[in-house]
Amino acid sequence: MARNRYVRKLKELRQNVVDMGALTQQSVEGVLIAIETSDTALAKRVIANDDEVDKFDRKIESQCMTLLALEQPMARDLRMIATSLKMITDLERIGDFVVDIAEEVVAMGKPIHIPVSATKFNELVADVKSMVADSIETYAKGNVQKARSFEARDDRIDFLYKNIVENMVNALAQGKCSTETVSDVASLLYIIRYLERIGDHAVNIGNRVCYMEEGDRRYLK
Amino acid sequence: MNNSIEISVKNLNLWFGKFQALKNVSIDIPKNQVTSLIGPSGCGKSTFIKTLDRMNDLVDNVKITGEVRYQGTNILDSDTDVVELRKQIGMVFQKPNPFPKSIFDNVAYGPRVHGVRKKKNLNEVVERSLKAAALWEEVKDRLNESALRLSGGQQQRLCIARLLAVEPEVLLMDEPASALDPIATSKIEDLIYDLKKDYTIVIVTHNMQQAARVSSNTAFFYLGELIEYAPTIDLFERPRDKRTEDYVTGKFG
Repeated sequence: MARNRYVRKLKELRQNVVDMGALTQQSVEGVLIAIETSDTALAKRVIANDDEVDKFDRKIESQCMTLLALEQPMARDLRMIATSLKMITDLERIGDFVVDIAEEVVAMGKPIHIPVSATKFNELVADVKSMVADSIETYAKGNVQKARSFEARDDRIDFLYKNIVENMVNALAQGKCSTETVSDVASLLYIIRYLERIGDHAVNIGNRVCYMEEGDRRYLK
Repeated sequence: MNNSIEISVKNLNLWFGKFQALKNVSIDIPKNQVTSLIGPSGCGKSTFIKTLDRMNDLVDNVKITGEVRYQGTNILDSDTDVVELRKQIGMVFQKPNPFPKSIFDNVAYGPRVHGVRKKKNLNEVVERSLKAAALWEEVKDRLNESALRLSGGQQQRLCIARLLAVEPEVLLMDEPASALDPIATSKIEDLIYDLKKDYTIVIVTHNMQQAARVSSNTAFFYLGELIEYAPTIDLFERPRDKRTEDYVTGKFG
């Protein structure tokens, strides 16, 4: 095996992306607990955690640019670096949505009243949580089969999102919300929108992993 | 790949004595495109390119089987007119090798050998060839100076002009820029890019980035075998064979 130093740098890059992914995943899970328990202190810790995610973003981008500038990577290496460079933007955006959700939790400062059946909301939360975890795992392990399932799983998230929005709008229209719960509805609409967007970024990561593993650019469209 | 094939090689085998340097190589070289040949030293790529204009005939103890079809004939046939073949398929080598003559006489050498005598005609062909080789502006005022006074990059472009003067169809280039500095190299690469409009070009290079930059298709040779032949972007972005992958990522051996 030649180019030992280069190979080591590629491994470091991939490990950093996995670590950034783990940190992002931790934030997602933290903010979901914060919603459930109305834990504003936890929400604030999650907000603070985003600085670490952003630091990873800058560090990894710099690593990628150095590898591209100095090593002329080709084939699988090139695809891994390109995937990492794009994927950290998805992770960084997921981190930003987590902050947005956490800020809603802090602003409400009390348990959220969900004016419709909580079942679908809980399903949405569980689906987004597992998609984020799986997207990072697919990158770490190069699991194309799992990555390919993301589009269908995202369709399910979109369905739940639309369904919850529709039910909440109906509840509002039918005057089922008190003055107090109307603001909860507004916050909740934001939160589920952010969750739905997080799902989209997880899909992006899945597609990039497929490209990284198979080199087919159709995954990038 | 382009449907129009300039050279079609089928089941080419070549031995130097008992050593088999090319093993059952089959490849179609498309017309008016640049085809790069890459691979580690000793993989057979230079031997292969030399077969395309019968340069291996000059080596003792060489045995060749298979077919190299060009303009409807197998150029490996014993009745091939090798002088005429080399007029149509010319070669540029790693180190520029101008004749110790003037710039003008270097370029006019081929046409003179092929019977062009009139000064006016020779002037035209020298100017046209030097322009096509992107050298005219640099030498037009000193055509009678010795070619050996040109820089390495200029000498290499002069050698290309010398080839173009006999109006070939195919240009073979065996590491044409490996002895040149980066600026001279980029001039040669720009020239290769421009020349493909009118010529079919086959280039052997150790510089993979050069192959990636200049060619439409790339062939990877290893131990005398053609391992993979694909559009250049595919070969460097998603090679199919593990040996190609290991070579282009620099993890060979």
